[in-house]
Amino acid sequence: MSYLARTLPKRVFTPSLAQSTRQTRALSTLQSTPTRTKHLTPRTNKPRHPLPHRTYHSALHARLPDHSYTNSQTAILTSALSHVPAHGFSATALTLGARDAGFLDVSVQLLPRGEFDLILFWLASRRGLLRGKVEEGGLFRRIAAEKGKDVHELSVEERVRGLLLERLRMNVEVRDVWQDALAQMSLLANIPISLTELHALTSDILTLSGDDAVDATWYTRRLAVSAIYASAEVVMTRDPTPDLVETAAFVERRFEDRKALADKLTGIGQCAGFGWNTAIGLGRSWGLKI
Amino acid sequence: MSTMSTRSAWRALHYSAKRRAFQPSPYRCFSCANRAQEQKPDNDRMTHFGFTNVPESEKETRVGAVFSSVAASYDRMNDLMSLGIHRLWKDHFVRSLNPGSCLPAMTADQRGWNILDIAGGTGDIAFRMLDHATNVNHDMETRVTISDINADMLAEGRKRSLDTPYYNTPRLNFVEANAEHMPHIPDSSVDLYTVVFGIRNFTDKQAALNEAYRVLKPGGVFACMEFSKVDNPILDGIYKRWNFSAIPLIGQVVAGDRDSYQYLVESIERFPSQEEFRGMIQKAGFMIPGQGFENLTGGIAAIHKGIKPIVKA
Repeated sequence: MSYLARTLPKRVFTPSLAQSTRQTRALSTLQSTPTRTKHLTPRTNKPRHPLPHRTYHSALHARLPDHSYTNSQTAILTSALSHVPAHGFSATALTLGARDAGFLDVSVQLLPRGEFDLILFWLASRRGLLRGKVEEGGLFRRIAAEKGKDVHELSVEERVRGLLLERLRMNVEVRDVWQDALAQMSLLANIPISLTELHALTSDILTLSGDDAVDATWYTRRLAVSAIYASAEVVMTRDPTPDLVETAAFVERRFEDRKALADKLTGIGQCAGFGWNTAIGLGRSWGLKI
Repeated sequence: MSTMSTRSAWRALHYSAKRRAFQPSPYRCFSCANRAQEQKPDNDRMTHFGFTNVPESEKETRVGAVFSSVAASYDRMNDLMSLGIHRLWKDHFVRSLNPGSCLPAMTADQRGWNILDIAGGTGDIAFRMLDHATNVNHDMETRVTISDINADMLAEGRKRSLDTPYYNTPRLNFVEANAEHMPHIPDSSVDLYTVVFGIRNFTDKQAALNEAYRVLKPGGVFACMEFSKVDNPILDGIYKRWNFSAIPLIGQVVAGDRDSYQYLVESIERFPSQEEFRGMIQKAGFMIPGQGFENLTGGIAAIHKGIKPIVKA
């Protein structure tokens, strides 16, 4: 211990470290007397002060609500959604929703972003529904049954595909008006919120599928699933089949592409690694001090 | 030539007559002991009139005098002082409220909006809202009641309404009333309550907000546009300099009335910040949509909104 103290620079040797060293020393000397060690135990196990706010993600944290709308706003938006297939994501749908919820025409002022709030609410509430379906447990069983497998045999990739298609099928009733919504989302002022929502969806899909990557692939996976989902949404708006067969085929192809691309990248990486190692080895054999 | 000179002479006389009502004494110094001695030290509650403190009972007449004095040159002065930006603000305000229903009414209650425009004497906002309802939403039923405490401003609005298609129709009417106490307007009868660049001058703002809450229907909207606090320090510096140097000068040159415009800039300075005023709206019982206010031109003006909640039976 004293050796450790000597080799450490002064500023690293903080009081807390000093205390723990002292404690360890005390423990090591007192190991022969169990009664006193017991006396010491509560002190060492004392819970640390919980941090007031954690910025990192943890499965143990309470989940954030799907959207941050108040009760009155949710009432208007929920009843407005029933008018969306007929009137699109428009001010008309909002006004009709406000009337249905017992509000006045003027009460749509509750939603400062207007139609875009309706789109956001649609996205957030469908995301919540998807999670609800998974947490009920029925969704993965159905996906497994379609593939003739047991639930436990489903790979993460298959689950991701299943959830993505399930989310796309939720859009079936609004697919005729969805291009308008996509146009609204691509307005300059709306892009940041739309991307946040897309990230929330892909993050949910991956988490629910049991993806537990904590390395750089955390980012690449989310990027890949986001790209596939966003492009599949566009395909969906022009898909005439009732059960989105064409969109499903498109998603399958994109996942194959993704796999091919990942294989290629891995191959290129390996090739570069071999090349580098060879160069180093060659240099060393020529007597370079590398 | 002679008519010109008579007219200008008459105008000078005219304005000075107006000013006399506003200023009982020609002497108006902000930090002078004489003035403080003049004020009666009785139990009358004090409020601010620009940077000076006056008894609450007196503020109403003083504000009245200011606006009587500026009524005729109101629009020209607004254009000069705000470099025309006030028109953009007002257009944006009306467009964001989107008055008028574009959908056919299901019940008699949904037939046209009942709009109450407080402190809207000259009709600026009222005509814009009626135009928007008629031309954009094709709603011929929406009606506006212009309410103002000042008879001169109302007279100006009446004069202007002659040029609009709403003159002498049930869609537009004028009422002279104090916004803090409006017994002639029944409870829960108004869809939209607007007050644009007016609430600053009220003696008791909270009372006016409570009264707004009373007259609005459940689900009705309180919308207010008012000068506010600029958040960018550089813009704020320029803005303050413009306010305290240029505006009283423009007032003196164009309207022949420096004191009224001095009051204007002082009252802007004394008005609460966006967050404080949002708190006052909430205190009156309104729900706040989103962050509750929208800054215009970096916070020189701000639009505040509140919605009266629906009580589920």
